[in-house]
Amino acid sequence: MTKSRKPEKGVTVAGALDRMSSPVSRRKVMKGIGAGVGAAAVGIHAPFVHAKQKEIRFLNGEPTVESVRAMKFAAAQYEKETGVKVQMDTVPVGKAFDKLQTAIKGGRSYDIGTLFFIGDVIILASEGKLAPLNDIIKKYEWGPRILFPIDGNNYWYPYDYNLCWINYRRDLYEKAGLKEPANWDEFLDNMAALTGEGDDKTEKGTLHPISSSSATNYFTFGFLWAQGAKLLDDNWNVVLDQGDVKKATMDYLDFFTRLVDHMPTGIAQAEWGVGLRGFRSGQLSHTPGTGRAIDVIRTTDPEMAQKIGVFPFPSGDGANVAVNHGYDGWVVMDTPRTEEALKFMEWFSDEHLINFLHTSAVHYQPTRMDIYEDPRWLAHPALEEYKHITDWQKRFLTDDNVIIRSIDTEGPEPDLRAGKIFRSYALPEMLQNKIVKGMDSSEAVDIAAEKLRKAMAS
Amino acid sequence: MTQSVSIPGAAKSGRSRSTSPQSLGGDGVIYALFFLGLALTAVVIIYPAFYAIELSFQKAESFISEPEWVGFDNYARVLADTEFWEALWRGIIFAGFAIVFQVILGIAFAMLLDAAIPMKRVMRGIAILPYLLPTLVVALTIRWMLNDPIGVITVGLQNLGFGIVDWYGSPTLAMVLVISASVWLWTPFVTVAFLAGLQSVPDSLYEAAKVDGANAWQRFWHITLPQLRPVLTVVILLRAIWMFNKFDIIWLLTGGGPLRSTEHLPVMAYRKAFQAYDVGMGATISTISFLILSVAVIIYFRLFPLDTKD
Repeated sequence: MTKSRKPEKGVTVAGALDRMSSPVSRRKVMKGIGAGVGAAAVGIHAPFVHAKQKEIRFLNGEPTVESVRAMKFAAAQYEKETGVKVQMDTVPVGKAFDKLQTAIKGGRSYDIGTLFFIGDVIILASEGKLAPLNDIIKKYEWGPRILFPIDGNNYWYPYDYNLCWINYRRDLYEKAGLKEPANWDEFLDNMAALTGEGDDKTEKGTLHPISSSSATNYFTFGFLWAQGAKLLDDNWNVVLDQGDVKKATMDYLDFFTRLVDHMPTGIAQAEWGVGLRGFRSGQLSHTPGTGRAIDVIRTTDPEMAQKIGVFPFPSGDGANVAVNHGYDGWVVMDTPRTEEALKFMEWFSDEHLINFLHTSAVHYQPTRMDIYEDPRWLAHPALEEYKHITDWQKRFLTDDNVIIRSIDTEGPEPDLRAGKIFRSYALPEMLQNKIVKGMDSSEAVDIAAEKLRKAMAS
Repeated sequence: MTQSVSIPGAAKSGRSRSTSPQSLGGDGVIYALFFLGLALTAVVIIYPAFYAIELSFQKAESFISEPEWVGFDNYARVLADTEFWEALWRGIIFAGFAIVFQVILGIAFAMLLDAAIPMKRVMRGIAILPYLLPTLVVALTIRWMLNDPIGVITVGLQNLGFGIVDWYGSPTLAMVLVISASVWLWTPFVTVAFLAGLQSVPDSLYEAAKVDGANAWQRFWHITLPQLRPVLTVVILLRAIWMFNKFDIIWLLTGGGPLRSTEHLPVMAYRKAFQAYDVGMGATISTISFLILSVAVIIYFRLFPLDTKD
């Protein structure tokens, strides 16, 4: 027999409603708040039951879905193997330095961070915020101009080259019977031959930004480096307006004036991605860029991706070729968890770096030369499929005739002064003076050189 | 003991304001809200402002660098820099033109929306739409509309025989662009403020003026404008402060270019502090900008005092 039982008032819905309907006095509220605060205060000082689990914080700067997934997978794997939790946060790499600074100022520094600008690494190292990675770095063979040692120490682990070359439409070249240009005149002629109406033509030839931006610093000065120009000598003197360098720079400006005829309007405002969009949509026959162009296009239009070829920036007379330098890397911060962070970096470098590089296989060009021979890396199908591009990538590093330069890496050694001239946008303004104002090349170079000096002195 | 304070005029209706323990709860809420507001203001406005002023006396390459106290060196550097004066002048040009057009168009639209037009309520709703849009959305849309070769404005101007206009390739056109975008975005604020003000102007004034033979322009000049002078004073002041400090629309549309032709003080301060490794200079420019604006506001209130009600 089931015995019915009258529910107690205190545990029924009706009982709860009864209590709610009773007047809420200020005394009751204060009691409640007091009890809550008291409990919280006790809780703060109570032993933390999970205190034994170690945790490191990693600021990832590669926000694509595939890259984030690979980093989180690595973090989960590491926790499974070692019990150390890796908290993985992600921001676009351009915002990573700000985020790292904020975290430091907020008293909760990341243990590992991503950076894409050597000036930021120098700032953090000079403030004693970074731990040297010498032991990890010396385990491998590295490509040229990528480690940027500071006072004999390696403070960062570069994971990819972002060399900037020129992407072009191979299919259109073949149909028009053109060959890759060896000098400026050939480049201009090729663009002219491909411009027009019809399926085998494009509306414009290329797009190099001239806005005061990092995009211009990255996409637009390959021709200048190929021409043999440099900004600084070995004693940190500005040489842009001196002798042969000035002549090379003036030649470059005069050439650029002709190049603008093959570009759409808006170059004075263009930023990242504008050239790639024009190239992808068939508006442009060429665009400066990295393997990112290939990876972006092959995910949505593999047929189009197959039509892309690359070549380095040629000089005016065809004597030299150049690529603009670019790179990304990780730094280990000086925190109470540095030892754990270094262990993770070493483990990641050996076990998961190649998986990560595969998430944008053509774009993430390895910095470690051993990886180019590693069967695990070579196993990615895109690396075989786009061998005509990856072969060039390796040649950029191994061929002594290829010049690798960039504004931020100018000077005899890594130094913030190069970072300052990068961010002064003196060279983009030199182009704007020439193109927007129609200034004489010599005057534009002189003004730019003065701005460089001013930026370095600030 | 219960103390009670009588409010004149309230006794007849039986209402009284009491300081009894029961009513102290209400006062407590008021005080709590007041101090909460004060605390929030201190944390998000006053402290950062003083921090920025402190930074302006220091030299630091980043926000984590150990700052070096340099006294007024940053001020001397800024004031000796021609780029600073150029940026200040551009800011005045940008704010000045934007305010003039916003006020003229805002008043015109307000008059129009106050008149007997069809679907008045719908039109009033549509008129305020630009103000509701995020600046980022507006900036990106404008950039696409100006895109070469597919932007609707680019194609439209081409079809009209103007050729391809390079808005970003000319310092003058770039300034025209940012002013136009600002006018489009923020004119509705002026419209709404004036429209509200228009509702308070007695119809009898207009009727009397009509009887006296005043035409539409005379009614506007001698009745509407004087009646709306307090609104106009506040609107111009607010728009001036906002436009002088406006960062987002310029940064998103032109980034301050070409050739710094749209770089005013807020953009310059940002560049120095967050890009050029010169936090002290950025803070100094911001502080000077704040001082300039403060002086301008004081002068403005001297010229157009608000206390003219009597």
